[in-house]
Amino acid sequence: MPFSTLLTDYKTPPNVWDEMCDQQAIRSHYQVFLQSLKNDSIAELVKKNELAKKLFMSQGITFTVYSDGEGIEKIFPFDILPRIITATEWSIIERGIKQRVKALNIFLADVYHDQFIIKDGKIPAALILSCPNFMKEMVGVDVSHGIYTHISGIDLIRDSDGSFYVLEDNLRTPSGVSYMLENRSMTYRIFPGSLPKNNVRSVKDYPDLLLKNLMALSKRAISNPTVVLLTPGIYNSAYFEHTTLARLMGVELVEGRDLVVDNAKVYMKTTAGLKQVDVIYRRVDDDFLDPLVFNPKSMLGVPGLYFAFRSGNVAIINAPGNGVADDKAVYPYVPEMIKYYLNEEPILKTVPTYSMSDPEHFSLVFSQINKMVIKKTNESGGYGMLMGNAVTENEVAEYKKEVEKNPRQFIAQPIISLSTVPCFIDNKIQPRHVDLRPFALYGPQGIEIVPGGLTRVALHEGSLVVNSSQGGGSKDTWVLAG
Amino acid sequence: MLSRVADSVFWMARYLERTDNVLRLLRTDYIASQDEILNFDWQSVTDTLSTKSETPIVVTSYREALYHLVLNKDHDASVFTNIVRVRENARSVQDYITKELWQCLNDYYHIVRDPHTEDLLLQQDPVTALDMLLRESIIFYGTVEVTMNRGDGYTFLNLGKYTERSLQSLDLLEMKWDVADEVTEPVSWKYLLYALSGFEFHTKFYKNALQTEDVIHQVLFNNQFPHSVSYSLSQIDRYFQRLKETSLTDNFKEMEFLAGKMVKDIQYTMVNRKDSVAVRELIIATRNQILNFSHKLTTLYFGYT
Repeated sequence: MPFSTLLTDYKTPPNVWDEMCDQQAIRSHYQVFLQSLKNDSIAELVKKNELAKKLFMSQGITFTVYSDGEGIEKIFPFDILPRIITATEWSIIERGIKQRVKALNIFLADVYHDQFIIKDGKIPAALILSCPNFMKEMVGVDVSHGIYTHISGIDLIRDSDGSFYVLEDNLRTPSGVSYMLENRSMTYRIFPGSLPKNNVRSVKDYPDLLLKNLMALSKRAISNPTVVLLTPGIYNSAYFEHTTLARLMGVELVEGRDLVVDNAKVYMKTTAGLKQVDVIYRRVDDDFLDPLVFNPKSMLGVPGLYFAFRSGNVAIINAPGNGVADDKAVYPYVPEMIKYYLNEEPILKTVPTYSMSDPEHFSLVFSQINKMVIKKTNESGGYGMLMGNAVTENEVAEYKKEVEKNPRQFIAQPIISLSTVPCFIDNKIQPRHVDLRPFALYGPQGIEIVPGGLTRVALHEGSLVVNSSQGGGSKDTWVLAG
Repeated sequence: MLSRVADSVFWMARYLERTDNVLRLLRTDYIASQDEILNFDWQSVTDTLSTKSETPIVVTSYREALYHLVLNKDHDASVFTNIVRVRENARSVQDYITKELWQCLNDYYHIVRDPHTEDLLLQQDPVTALDMLLRESIIFYGTVEVTMNRGDGYTFLNLGKYTERSLQSLDLLEMKWDVADEVTEPVSWKYLLYALSGFEFHTKFYKNALQTEDVIHQVLFNNQFPHSVSYSLSQIDRYFQRLKETSLTDNFKEMEFLAGKMVKDIQYTMVNRKDSVAVRELIIATRNQILNFSHKLTTLYFGYT
């Protein structure tokens, strides 16, 4: 294999698509980058790794993990080697995501108004109405420009045949974009000159684009509407992202206690008195937004916010109630949504999904449990799932009892061997499984997707769990300009 | 700006200024204990710098005192605890302070936590460790000057800084006066001035070095000395004026009166500097005014709960 000194330990698992190697040859889009590494020894890469760690430390780029005994924050694990995507591959991803987000948005508008898709028998009513995130408070509510999914993170994986599958949609408070931005700024420190040499497309426009969309959603006809980012506070796992985005967009970062609703308008408490707020980019979950309407124990929201929203005096981004569209049990119906609303064939594939409330699916899944992964429909962060190929019989039996208690809350999918990319781990270049989360922004002018996104990597050898809360890390993602 | 953010920025600056003063005091006291003042009373310093509500800490050597006052995470008044507070306040207003400032505070935090710092402080040369930490304060202030825009955030930061500085100068003057007797007064004054970075200034400005009334003049009234109470209060008044455009009129007027009175009372006092009782009363009265000003600022500008 070429570059043999660097790649002596690079052994790709069988039946897995490796993004760098095809049999023993290096794929063309990785060649320029590897060529630039040619003169680097492992020792050089070790130095680069150390530099990256030092930079992350001093900049406080952290991720908070909820049940971590060491303290409330950890430096977000970062792998120095970029993940590279060709222009052709990206164009498929881009078209596929735009199509999917458009369909999901129409679905949300439909399911909260006339529900044609249910009346036409394309989706069972029981599935929608039993969804814990279907929000009756959103029924009949019109949203600014008809957009519900202003910011989406669509998780993609690559199967052994190299084709992209959507693993799941994140339409509520998707996170990770700040790491996408920070990872890029790491790369030009660690591999100087590599970005222009590889003709990598830029990601730095994300905050400007997002701000432009947010400002366009204000109902008040003023030239400089007040946009705020509502954060749950410093103990939230994604707090670093909230501060980064607020800083890059130049908007106020507020907590619930900084806002007050008076006469169905939202105001923030400033040193100069109350100032009206027009648009809230909220990173607080639906249930915590307004203790007068939703969870009454919430200290993170603003009493009266929902009424201000219903009165049309403030825009909330993403709209409340999106959870019905990214419920894992609704996920298998997305291709149908695309056909129904857009009259198009889906560009991106979906992973076959079995509903545990269907007795036939239930038997099938447990009879082949070692090839299946079972997930809770409303969990995130990789919590609450069962990887059938990595558990004991007892664990399966325990989990099965949980599923039997409330089968609607579980779905199963065949375990897909995520693609692998080169990572620099334990001072060697080794393959690890990854996924990809591109971010789509939906504004009045349409849907735009920043070229790249967050590549999440399962740092443990053989692991397929990429979530940062469970030991995953991230990489810079390069989309080549062609 | 958001009231909560103004509050955090104000207190971030107060904790940092406090840290800076404590580090200089400890550096000076350590050198004094090695040189002129044998049998240095570390217990007294520890007691003075600890908060009243804490369980009293007993120290028998400079190493123990330095450990508790610099590194002890469980000690409410330690440098470590203060830097954590500075960083936490800064973290919750990260979008408001510049990225450079946040990085600078992160670096400060990591240096305090570094085992090498502990080793220097407790096993090797403490002055090196204290200088390393003091340098971080200087970098902080420099970063503020160079990177922060001159909006309300900068104003509140300076209000916090000079509020704390004036209180620290008053406290330090009182502390050193309390331990001095007629014989040791000149030595106490020398180390007081070192702790305030004012010894060289004193020898240039006042010809009869280290007379009590001159030291009092420098620390309380001398507007050319950046750590004097008068200078600090005039800075508070100056920065507060910048809030005029962005304040509610009634709030501004009330605070403007308090700030102005605070400055004029110290600038136009008729106190006899040889009358120690009168000077002590002035110290107490000035301290009360500063605390009242800070309390009013909190109520009128930072009230958000």
